[in-house]
Amino acid sequence: MTILPFLAIAFGAAAASLLTRRIAPLSATIGILGLLAAVLAAAAIDADETLAIGGGELVGSAYLRLFAWLGAIVALLLALLGLLSSSHRHVPGVLLSGLGAAGLALALPDARIAILAATAGGLVGILVTIPLPALASGVVVAARELRALAVAGVLAILAAAWIGRPLGTLADEPAVFGLAYLGFAVAVAIRFGAIPFHFWAARLADAAPEVSLPMLMAWGPAAFAVVALAWVDQSVAPLLVPLAVERSLVVAVGAFSAILGALAAWIQDDLEHVVGYTIIADAGIAILGLAALDPAAWEPARTWILVFVVARSAFAAWAVAVRVSFGTRRIDQLRGWALRAPLLAVALVAIVVASFGFPGLAVWEARSGLIDLTLDGPFAALVTLGALGPLAVYARLIAIGVARPSDAVARAASQRPVWPARPVGGPTPDAAAGRRVTVASAGRSLRAAGPSLLDAVPAALDANRALLAGVLVVALAGLSIAVSAGGFGVSSAAAAAPGRLPPPIESVPPGSETAPPASPSPGASEPLGSPSPASPGASEPAPSVPAPSGPAGSTSPGLSFAPLPSP
Amino acid sequence: MNPALAGLTCVVIAGAVTAVAAREPRVALLGLLVVLLGAAFLADPLPSPLAMASRIVAAVLAARLIAIAIRGGDERTAGSRLGWPVEALAAAAAAVVGYGTHGLGAPGGGPPEAQAAGFAIGVLAAAPIVSGRDVFRLGTGSILLLTAGLLVRQAIGGTPSELDELATSGLVVGLGGAVAALTLGARAAAGGLAPEPPAGSPRRPTRIHGRLPGGAGPAARSGAHRLSPEAGPGPAIDPGPPS
Repeated sequence: MTILPFLAIAFGAAAASLLTRRIAPLSATIGILGLLAAVLAAAAIDADETLAIGGGELVGSAYLRLFAWLGAIVALLLALLGLLSSSHRHVPGVLLSGLGAAGLALALPDARIAILAATAGGLVGILVTIPLPALASGVVVAARELRALAVAGVLAILAAAWIGRPLGTLADEPAVFGLAYLGFAVAVAIRFGAIPFHFWAARLADAAPEVSLPMLMAWGPAAFAVVALAWVDQSVAPLLVPLAVERSLVVAVGAFSAILGALAAWIQDDLEHVVGYTIIADAGIAILGLAALDPAAWEPARTWILVFVVARSAFAAWAVAVRVSFGTRRIDQLRGWALRAPLLAVALVAIVVASFGFPGLAVWEARSGLIDLTLDGPFAALVTLGALGPLAVYARLIAIGVARPSDAVARAASQRPVWPARPVGGPTPDAAAGRRVTVASAGRSLRAAGPSLLDAVPAALDANRALLAGVLVVALAGLSIAVSAGGFGVSSAAAAAPGRLPPPIESVPPGSETAPPASPSPGASEPLGSPSPASPGASEPAPSVPAPSGPAGSTSPGLSFAPLPSP
Repeated sequence: MNPALAGLTCVVIAGAVTAVAAREPRVALLGLLVVLLGAAFLADPLPSPLAMASRIVAAVLAARLIAIAIRGGDERTAGSRLGWPVEALAAAAAAVVGYGTHGLGAPGGGPPEAQAAGFAIGVLAAAPIVSGRDVFRLGTGSILLLTAGLLVRQAIGGTPSELDELATSGLVVGLGGAVAALTLGARAAAGGLAPEPPAGSPRRPTRIHGRLPGGAGPAARSGAHRLSPEAGPGPAIDPGPPS
């Protein structure tokens, strides 16, 4: 099956959910059902299926299928978690539309169009950044978000357009490729909120609902980064242009984000800020993938992106569950949380393992691979230490969790399953007698008294919110461990090439000999609206190398940038 | 030079000048609509009828969403501090530069007029993007900036495909929706288009220390945030017992 059903479900359900937002239960139901359907539709995406549409193509791939499937599952669990917390009524619609836009961006082989989809997907986040009722602080944050999206979008559009056409003699100028590369990399850094472009992202945690943070700060920018990786892979890296200065700048952004993001997360007292800065820290490693300009970086970069967005989503969900359980996000008020909420303790340990892993796990290999490919000597050690910096954050959380419980924690409801006092007809016999009401005893009472189960369910859900939140977080943490370990074929999907070739880009690497033109691939399409280098209508007969147009599109051994073989 | 495209370029630039210089939001929105509609036609050859239709519908829908957000209010946007003649001259200079550098170092696949318009609109978008405190002006700048990028792309790469135009239409609608949401949010939160007071002016209270009569729930907080001069007297604030 093509990606079309997935897109139709995601965008259709998002529109329906947003349009019915004034009827909160209906909107939430549509959103949840839409996400469930999106999970199924994503799983049915055929990696080899291509859909020709409007002069372009929507191309399936194993990576796209996995990204969409994991994204739909994570969004579904986050949306359910949102129902347990006082979340924004736009959340299900925004999760669906963000997911659809990310899927569309990954399905478009032409980076110039994919950028538009990824940018449009980011815009929907503004709907949830403005709280209801509106607060000035939220509007300011949303305005900064719009500014960041616009600047990042235009940088990427110009970068992709500048070298995505016949270049003629302009191909002799390394600065052209350097500027375009730097522009796109900065656009990715802005979208991720990487340091020093983090001011808007750092405030996002204050304004946006917690359950939507992963979509705004991780999944949406991750799709943008995957598009950037493919573009760098097809347009810049194969040309062997000396880009030392530009690469150094991108490496610096990635390394500073990894180190300073971890440091910033460590000194925060608000859990949402901790989540936000750990996302920025992990995004720094993803940015290193753009700096490598090496075919060996293709698989670890795409693996890392997938692993980190799932792990960060689990961590964000954990933070939401903590607030649901204890009514606070302040770390200093959470003493003893682990003793009171063992499910959350288990989930946090699982998230720590998923975030860092150990040698042999996909997450560990991807991170160390990216650092080794971009940094040497003491810098590599420093960034490795920085990337492991969030361990200190988790250690702090665990240390606080096993301390003597604070008042807020002691007052919180237990995670044990309980059955509420009867919603109609007064208290159950157990409750009336002052005994603890358990599920079993409540069941006996209900059978004896015969009240409607439907009356009792909402109250039961409300009474067990902490338990349900814990179960959802454990599920997400388990998913993140599976992905981090390389489950679901993450590594092979990340290493695989897209199903079809993106448009070729004519260029001549400066100082290199002209390679013989390769025969065009059957699936390769021409640059949209521009003459083919080999066509009679070309404006000048510039020597051209139909550059390797994608991970699978290497045509000349000297410039090969073919994907790594699937393990 | 294609006279039709040159004329359209002038219309688009005039629309952009209006969008950034006008203080009346409806007038600025009209200028923005002109830009969005005109940008779809600055191509040679023209896009397919289907692609043009999608761009027109997207432009009108985006403008309509923003119009819904600004209707019923008498707030004025900040406009240009330098005045429209300065903006127009800056845009004209940028247009000349854009026209003269068509293709940016290599032959462009599209018309030079598109690049001229793109450069002009990009220059006009800079001030609202960098210093726009009111969300309507910032939103206008964001839409203009992305439109400028798309025009330059059109000048370099040629007429986009239908799929490309469809994605562009989605982006335009998304931008319109985002600006509308921001405008509605600012009006609800601050009673005007600027959620933050301008630099140097006394800060509007954005956080209430103490309790509001009747509780401090979300509705009460929302009321507190409407304590702007434009919104008139708001609920009385009990500062609480002196500490």
